[in-house]
Amino acid sequence: MSVFILTTGALIAIVLPLLTGLFIVMCPQKAARVLAIVAGVIATAATLIIWCGLAASPEEALRVSLVTIGKVEVIGFVFDRISVMLAACFVGIGLLITIYTVGYLNEGNREHPDLPRRRFFAAFIVFIGAMAGIVYSSTLVGMLVFFEVTGICSWLLIGYYGNENSERSALKALILTQIGALGLFIAVGYLFAAAGTFEVSAIASLSDFNKAVLLILILIAAWAKSAQLPFYMWLPSAMVAPTPVSAYLHGASMVKVGVAVMARVLAEAGAIPEVVGWVIVVGALATLLFSFFMYLPQKDMKRLLAFSTISQISYMFLGFGFFVFGSDLAFEGSVMHIFNHAFAKTLFFLIAGAFSYTMGTRMFPRLRGVLRKQPLLGVGFAVAALAIAGAPPLNGFFSKFAIFAGSFEAASGNWLLLAIVVVALIETVACFAWFLKWIGWVLPGEPSDEVAAAAPLPKTMGFVFVVLIIFTVVSSFIAAAWLG
Amino acid sequence: MHVSLLMIFLLATPLTASLLMAVLPSRSVSTLVFEALHAVSVLTIVLLAGYLIITVLRGGEPIDTLGGWFYLDALGSVFVFLISALGLLTGWFSLSYLRHDLKAGSIGAVQFKQYYTFFNLFLFTMLLVVLSNNIIMMWISIEATTIVTVFLVGSYQTKLALEAAWKYIVVCTAGVAFGLYGTLLIYANAAEVLLDPAQAVLWTSLVGAAPQFDAMLIQIAFVFAVVGFGTKAGLFPMHTWLPDAHSEAPSPVSALLSGVLIKCAVLVIIRFYIIAVAALGPAFPQLVMLIIGIISVVIASLAVFSSDDLKRKLAYSSVKNIGVVALCLGFGGPLGIAAALLHCVMHGFTKALMFCISGNILMKYGTRSLKKISGIVQVAPTTAVLMIIGLFALSGFPPLAMFIPEVMAFVAGVSAGYVWIVVILGLALALIIAAFMLVVSRSVFRKAPEQLQKKDLGFMILAPEVIMVVVIVWFGVLMPGPLLKGVESATAIVMQQPDQNVLHNDPLLKDFFAAGELSGSNVNE
Repeated sequence: MSVFILTTGALIAIVLPLLTGLFIVMCPQKAARVLAIVAGVIATAATLIIWCGLAASPEEALRVSLVTIGKVEVIGFVFDRISVMLAACFVGIGLLITIYTVGYLNEGNREHPDLPRRRFFAAFIVFIGAMAGIVYSSTLVGMLVFFEVTGICSWLLIGYYGNENSERSALKALILTQIGALGLFIAVGYLFAAAGTFEVSAIASLSDFNKAVLLILILIAAWAKSAQLPFYMWLPSAMVAPTPVSAYLHGASMVKVGVAVMARVLAEAGAIPEVVGWVIVVGALATLLFSFFMYLPQKDMKRLLAFSTISQISYMFLGFGFFVFGSDLAFEGSVMHIFNHAFAKTLFFLIAGAFSYTMGTRMFPRLRGVLRKQPLLGVGFAVAALAIAGAPPLNGFFSKFAIFAGSFEAASGNWLLLAIVVVALIETVACFAWFLKWIGWVLPGEPSDEVAAAAPLPKTMGFVFVVLIIFTVVSSFIAAAWLG
Repeated sequence: MHVSLLMIFLLATPLTASLLMAVLPSRSVSTLVFEALHAVSVLTIVLLAGYLIITVLRGGEPIDTLGGWFYLDALGSVFVFLISALGLLTGWFSLSYLRHDLKAGSIGAVQFKQYYTFFNLFLFTMLLVVLSNNIIMMWISIEATTIVTVFLVGSYQTKLALEAAWKYIVVCTAGVAFGLYGTLLIYANAAEVLLDPAQAVLWTSLVGAAPQFDAMLIQIAFVFAVVGFGTKAGLFPMHTWLPDAHSEAPSPVSALLSGVLIKCAVLVIIRFYIIAVAALGPAFPQLVMLIIGIISVVIASLAVFSSDDLKRKLAYSSVKNIGVVALCLGFGGPLGIAAALLHCVMHGFTKALMFCISGNILMKYGTRSLKKISGIVQVAPTTAVLMIIGLFALSGFPPLAMFIPEVMAFVAGVSAGYVWIVVILGLALALIIAAFMLVVSRSVFRKAPEQLQKKDLGFMILAPEVIMVVVIVWFGVLMPGPLLKGVESATAIVMQQPDQNVLHNDPLLKDFFAAGELSGSNVNE
């Protein structure tokens, strides 16, 4: 019975948004946002019911084959601690951003006055469904399908403003991730040739060599979607998207696709050859250092955030790498960090969007004294920045702590791994200092001209901020309690 | 009535319609008469073809007639399905398209009559290709398709159209002549080996006798056949005529040329591939297909990206997709063969759709130059949605039809150990995606030119396109059981296994089909 409910719920969370997307294209423009929000609410409710359903069930994990040909499962769902939590997070944040968009994409916007076109809501709601699909999928084919769908959606959304620059950026994102997807395409073939099935859990039964090849193939796809070296270029360019889109790309969709796929694959791979761990860890460290140096020259808040996302994702990969070296804590920390970072980064971007909306700029040099003029935005900014920087008691601290604790545990005895952990640790401290600097610049003091002339904040945005601030504080406790 | 008689009727229907139209005077007879004859013809073809296909697939036995000259097996059925279904849909689309051209003055009453006459003759020649069992007849009918379509390509009688038609006939006849050479080599060899030399022209007896053939001779003959019939299919190195001819033809004809005709040439190649595999073993024929396939894919992908003309882009994409079909044949194995056949079907529908839509755009904008087309979404919203779906499908995105053979091709390639070829294929695909997404963002979105009237085209034009889109989504989400069954039986023929359930019993794929019977709705990728 409970499996039935979970499956139906997952189907609703995936298929309903996809259908709504098609439907929106055919409906009058005014109905688009209402339809999107309604579908978002239903999908979020479905993911929450699934979460409760699994919590109430005595099983650790439930598996359902959805589409099988003979004995081979082509598409199926897996409900376990990771998937139910991430799905609720990705879909729920999608809903919050949809609500925010209603306040953002209108003529009152000082940076981009615009009426929302149907295309936006159609692509966005499909994106939400595809994210649920990625997370619940238990087969590589299923992942591949939704992986590609997220590619289309991000392409439509990044290019939304339709000028030369945004078209180029959208294409860059699509093509770079498509080249990465090649890894996943080949992995599908490789797994099928080696094990005669598409199920992710079959990876555990492969020989060490096959397993290493397969995991590295999937890792390439994950790097591309999660904007790691050598594929990172698309993410900073994708900043030309409307800010709600950037928020979703960074917080709970595009870049999270890679880590979510990686988490699923590693969790089911059994004992993993160390070479995979080395590849993951070295890749993560390179990206980490690179993105930190890219922080320094950034003046545009959104570009700074882009590089911050890249480095935060590297922490997750770092945790995955140390999981291969034997630390379960690092893995849990990474999964927790996916969850926590989603709320904090979404909040941060939406705040940046609110700056653009009310003040017409998001350039740091022109933003001063925000706390006095727009207290809610100021508090949101502080909470988000501290959470990203990893200051207790905000959520980012706990997950980063778990990653590093786990890394030290796994690295003890190997000086090279220890060195990597120490370098990463120094990076977090530097990142912390850098964010503190901007908090000190933006929040206190007399408002600058732009800030003083700010328009009032739309109510829908205020509502979303309150919800996100609360979650940025508490999400770590939810995740820790759930993952145990 | 004997079912083999129906095959004669199937061939006779478009021929009769065409001859009738040819004898009617163009000026004194109402255009309605031509349209009515045309409609009756394409509808009858669908009904007869449908009945024959069902008979072949149900019975599991091929049908032949006229002393074995005409022959329909499961392999041919897949292609008869394509011809009849797309003949109907593009035929339907032709009605409004031609009326529009007549009204706009780009054609006169004479060309109007010519169009329908040759359209039906074209269908007849394609049916002849796929139904013939006589290898000389295969060559003749391939040549016949060229002669007939040359007049369709040149319909508009503009300088460019005539040049394209000329290039088409010169390159194709030269190329297909290689095919004749290959055909004759095989015939000569068979005539020595077979007891009854009269049997040496029949494909069915050639396949049986193939193991006794001279290996060296068959190697040469196969390369000639692939290059020769590959010319017609648009494969490297003789693909140069295709972008011109397919882009200058009236849009519904482009749809048939790209969607169906090149697939018919593929069928002929497959028939020779079967003989070659039986005579030489799979290694050599597969190597040939791999080389020609991958070169076609790479060259065509670059051309798709750099071309500025919508219809040329689509035409080059056909070259790329035929290259993929060749690659799948090169990967071999039941999965590769099935992928090749499915790719023919899926690409047929998708490309026909896109060429019809290019017709919509021509009617609306009067140009094919992508630099001058923008804002389709404002000018013709329904067309824009159909076009976006079509371009996504051509780029191989799920859940649309072409994603399935694409994944199968990747799996087949990797299982066969050709990882590098698969990587090149994937990169070429990324290039194709880039090219088509630029079309969407520049031409479908952006701002429309001021002077254009913002009104979509009529129901009669959009309806066949909507049907094609529905088919593309349907085949992508829930592939119908009969189609899969047909492809499986066809794969068994290509593999030359007596076992119809070749996919069911393959060591790699047997788990797929372990449940025995397929139920229609559970094949979903």
